[in-house]
Amino acid sequence: MVKFLDWLYALFGMKKNVRLGIYGSVNVGKTTIANRISKDWTGEEVGKVSKIPHETRFVQKKEKIELKHKNKKIMLNLLDMPGLATKIDYREFLKYGISKRAAKQRAKEATDGVIEAIKWLSNVDTVLAVMDATQDPLTQINITLLGNLEARKIPVIIVANKIDKKKAKPQAIRDAFPQYPVVEVSGLKGTNIDKLYEHIAKYSGRAR
Amino acid sequence: MKNIKNIKMDFVSATILDDKPKEKRINFILNKVKDGTILVTDGVLKPDEEMELIRETMRRVDDGFPGIEVASLKRQSKGALALIEKFSDQKERVQTLIAGLTGKVPEKTSMRTGLTLIGPARFIKKIKKNPDSFSVFTEL
Repeated sequence: MVKFLDWLYALFGMKKNVRLGIYGSVNVGKTTIANRISKDWTGEEVGKVSKIPHETRFVQKKEKIELKHKNKKIMLNLLDMPGLATKIDYREFLKYGISKRAAKQRAKEATDGVIEAIKWLSNVDTVLAVMDATQDPLTQINITLLGNLEARKIPVIIVANKIDKKKAKPQAIRDAFPQYPVVEVSGLKGTNIDKLYEHIAKYSGRAR
Repeated sequence: MKNIKNIKMDFVSATILDDKPKEKRINFILNKVKDGTILVTDGVLKPDEEMELIRETMRRVDDGFPGIEVASLKRQSKGALALIEKFSDQKERVQTLIAGLTGKVPEKTSMRTGLTLIGPARFIKKIKKNPDSFSVFTEL
């Protein structure tokens, strides 16, 4: 019976439970997006948001989120990933008034978090690649992330976040990565969040 | 890591890296970079190798080595060359699959045509990337 249901879901290009990974660089608003999705559909948040980089140092999960868009229903397991980075310097955290010991501990946990996020790449069905629309999108992290998702044939939606900010240039993200679907949102204000749900419903669970 | 007063840059031919299996290739790069060298090579790592480089960098981060800055420019092949590269990619995937099934060490993979710069984040402060070029900003 379970196999039959899986077959049925596969037939319609759907997976029973879609593991939706939220990836991106540090401080691009991944947890804000995760909180917005989770709060809209379950009333609960996923994690804490902070201005201090690497606030999310462990994979944060919210399971069995039932997302509905038009006549489509998707069961999501939301995975909010630690921010990807090529460098983590504990001295950066000292600027935020953290003690040296706490900063070193934070840096250690952050490096482990990056390793864990990379490990999860082989375990997600769809990815929201979150980018800060006020920043230059052509970073090695974004390029490496998208290249890996493409090589693994994992459907990806680019989320151009922070469009509520004056400096936001979401078009720069579209220009940098024209081959990917891009949704312009403000996770903080909820702007265009329905468009994001439309895209998740459209792209989630498509066969790898 | 030593106190850096001068920048040492090594320009390494991709063929030297091609001769090494994936793990040794990443080790070679990180050993040089951790020692304070900026490495430039006439080749581009594959996406999975780039991710492995990030993962291995994170394993090696300590007080004196906060990580790396990396930028690459991939040459976009056209026409017959693009087809050959696509075929080569498929061939390598099949070889890796067979190696995995038989438990043998995977075959070496070639780097793609292009340019890669990898250096210590301790003094490379920013890399500004454009589609066809990049600028490196350092602070000693």
